[in-house]
Amino acid sequence: MSAAILSVRDLTVKAHLDDETRILLDAVSLDLAKGEILGLVGESGSGKSLFCRSLVRLLPSSRLKIEAGSVLLEGQDLTAISDAEMLNIRGGEIGMIFQNPSSHLDPVMRIGDQIAEGIRYHQGLDGKSARRAATEILSQVGFPDPICQYQSYPHEFSGGMRQRAMIAVALSCNPKILIADEPTTALDVTIQAQILQLLMELRDRRGLSIILITHDLGIVAQTCDRIAIMRGGKLLEEGPKRQILSRPRDPYTIKLIHSHPSMPDAEPVAEVAVAAAPVKPILEIDDLHVRFRVGGSLFRGSAVKTVSAVSGISLQIMPGETVGIVGESGSGKSTLARAVLGLTPLTSGHISFEGADLALQRQASLKKLRREAAMVFQDPFNALNPRMTIGQTIGEVLLVQGKIAKADIPQRIDELLDLVGLDREFASRKPRSMSGGQCQRAGIARALAVDPKLIIADECVAALDVTIQAQIIDLFRELAARMNLTLLFIAHDLAIVRNLCARTIVMYRGEVVEDGPSEQVFSRPSHSYTASLVAAIPDINPDKSLFSDARRVPQSIPSIKSMP
Amino acid sequence: MHRYRFVFLRPLQFLPVIFGISIITFILVRLIPGDPARVLLGTRATPTAIANIRAQFGLDEPIWLQYLYFLRNLANGEMGKSILYKIDVLKLIATRIEPTLALVVCSVLLSIAIAVPMASIAARNAGRGPDHAVRIISTFGIGFPPFWLGLMLIILFSVKLDLLPVSGYGATFGDKLSHLILPSLTIALSLSTVLTRSLRAAMIEGLKSDVATAARARGMPERIVFWRHVLPNSLVPTINLLAVNTGWLIGGTVVVESVFALPGMGQLLVRAIFSRDYMVVQGVAMVFACATVLVNFLADIATVAADPRVKL
Repeated sequence: MSAAILSVRDLTVKAHLDDETRILLDAVSLDLAKGEILGLVGESGSGKSLFCRSLVRLLPSSRLKIEAGSVLLEGQDLTAISDAEMLNIRGGEIGMIFQNPSSHLDPVMRIGDQIAEGIRYHQGLDGKSARRAATEILSQVGFPDPICQYQSYPHEFSGGMRQRAMIAVALSCNPKILIADEPTTALDVTIQAQILQLLMELRDRRGLSIILITHDLGIVAQTCDRIAIMRGGKLLEEGPKRQILSRPRDPYTIKLIHSHPSMPDAEPVAEVAVAAAPVKPILEIDDLHVRFRVGGSLFRGSAVKTVSAVSGISLQIMPGETVGIVGESGSGKSTLARAVLGLTPLTSGHISFEGADLALQRQASLKKLRREAAMVFQDPFNALNPRMTIGQTIGEVLLVQGKIAKADIPQRIDELLDLVGLDREFASRKPRSMSGGQCQRAGIARALAVDPKLIIADECVAALDVTIQAQIIDLFRELAARMNLTLLFIAHDLAIVRNLCARTIVMYRGEVVEDGPSEQVFSRPSHSYTASLVAAIPDINPDKSLFSDARRVPQSIPSIKSMP
Repeated sequence: MHRYRFVFLRPLQFLPVIFGISIITFILVRLIPGDPARVLLGTRATPTAIANIRAQFGLDEPIWLQYLYFLRNLANGEMGKSILYKIDVLKLIATRIEPTLALVVCSVLLSIAIAVPMASIAARNAGRGPDHAVRIISTFGIGFPPFWLGLMLIILFSVKLDLLPVSGYGATFGDKLSHLILPSLTIALSLSTVLTRSLRAAMIEGLKSDVATAARARGMPERIVFWRHVLPNSLVPTINLLAVNTGWLIGGTVVVESVFALPGMGQLLVRAIFSRDYMVVQGVAMVFACATVLVNFLADIATVAADPRVKL
């Protein structure tokens, strides 16, 4: 290994709270070589982001203090320099990109100006040369028309282009080290593959060293040279990628590897034996169209345009099926879910839930839907009323539904909490004192309180850590089997759907492009779009390269986001 | 530049608004008890003289016909004749509009000039001494009613220090400006407190935002983070607050104009109400209402200019 460009020794960060002192980083030591990509893996709260921010002294609160340790950047100890000197290190030596480009880019400043700002400040160029340099960087990170796009504002770009813009902003200061904090978590798989490829190209072209923070071992396996695993503020183990992935020593690493959904030997989902007797579908969708009006106002009726979110979908869902709906963001999968529950007006077509037609007898079928179908939402925390305890939240549903006697409600709440694997004492807790996984379990308990036949889960694990994701998926699997639930599971993460659902539906631009048993859809995709989605999943096996030509994302299928 | 298309379309919406305003002001003015002819001629006027005046100004017509005359005049760009001054209402307003307009503009500019630094100091020292000081000053600003504040400013700057004129309005530009300082300050001191509080909250939010973190992470000093990223983002929500308050301010100049004896529209309005000068009251109310509509329109344009995400 070449000499370390960055060498961290025993970095310790403590939080000084009112009545206690907590250790957030516990003597973490790490080296980063020149031109190396280091994957820093751990769940939220493991201290991986804090570690990177401590390097450049960007601590999120004034109560946090670096207590001990050293950070040597090419021999210079960053913990000892002044705040003024640190300004040159930040950006100039160590650049950062973040998970959510939408909130980290300045919404009221032109993209180009945000890049030029760093160039002018760090390299002391005048306005005109900075502008030229910024345009050059824009083209380096893959903007097709940099001169024109220099003038654009962040909201005019898709998520993937925003992330490219943020990389451009970081590169503008010409750093030696790039810290990428979950740079692709908010992106679709195909876009994720493009961004990861861009990072690797930049490493090769500029000799950048990259610290890639992620929770996805698949990404690490595909892009990194070395892996460091963190948990609870401690570095558990660290080493070359292949060694860690094939011979993990720490039990937590082993658990992480096993909970990765793209495990090549993940057991195929057993075909649920649909009852032999002819059953009627629980949900029938017939030539459904949902269009939204965009633009238009009182004085330009003629200019009103409509966007088709769902165009001509026909589906039959049988009782007891677990169906996964996948597709990029914007493919219409959430609109479909909302339409099924009567939350979005239908433009044309029919949805019938156990024979009740939502288009023809709206009131009657809504009433039926509310009593027999339930939804689990993406953001578990915000979907629960912060002022109510979990017991009150679930009790409210039970009371409104009136399916059980009022006196039996407390007992039923306990049963539901048992069912979703939450301790009974959670009935008296409020969401803010619970973790994301616990909140999602409570959300599922609330959905189950309806005693539904159909549950629609919209990206319900997207906001959770991998290990928690695996737990929630297991819970769904168990509940579906035990209670003969029909599950409509919407996700952009294909691996999870493959793991949980017997049947997979692939949506693209508001249409169903593929529908079939999951094993078949994923192993022998018949539509080229499905093939490109499957190819973009980062595999945990480093030998199945995401970027080899055989698996390269076909360019012929444009992403929805790049549509005019 | 289709984002600015509303600039041409929005004025069409003003027509029904102004029509509504004209009905309301017309009716409300006539609900004030008293008869203009009687007020004008005094208590010893003969019934014939009163009837003459009433006929001369069309006050003996049925009320709906009076309204139609009013509308017809409006369409011709006239607002009738003042009963008291015996001249055209529009001409009368034209002679009085300048001090009021100047007062409003100066007050708004001054309150921005006070609010931005105050909010910046408070936000950058949130929870510490300077923040508390700004809050205390703001509370005083809200607590003192403008008429009292105006009097105190006169006593201090005009009477004791003899720096500025006591009241009235000047003839030359510099003279006018010196007459406007105290009244504008009176208004700005209370207006800026509202703005300061809104700006401070937005700035504190902005300093904690991801945008600021990202700017710091690329080595921008705190000064640039604040002035180039936090401030522009925090102005957006404040623009509308300023517009609402300016609308209120236009009608609210009455008190300040009285305290400082500024010969503006506020004074004109007060005198017109006392003498039941219907035409003038209507005219001034129409001008105030249209000005308020216009200010909100300008605020919309400013919002679109300040935030590229906004589409109207």
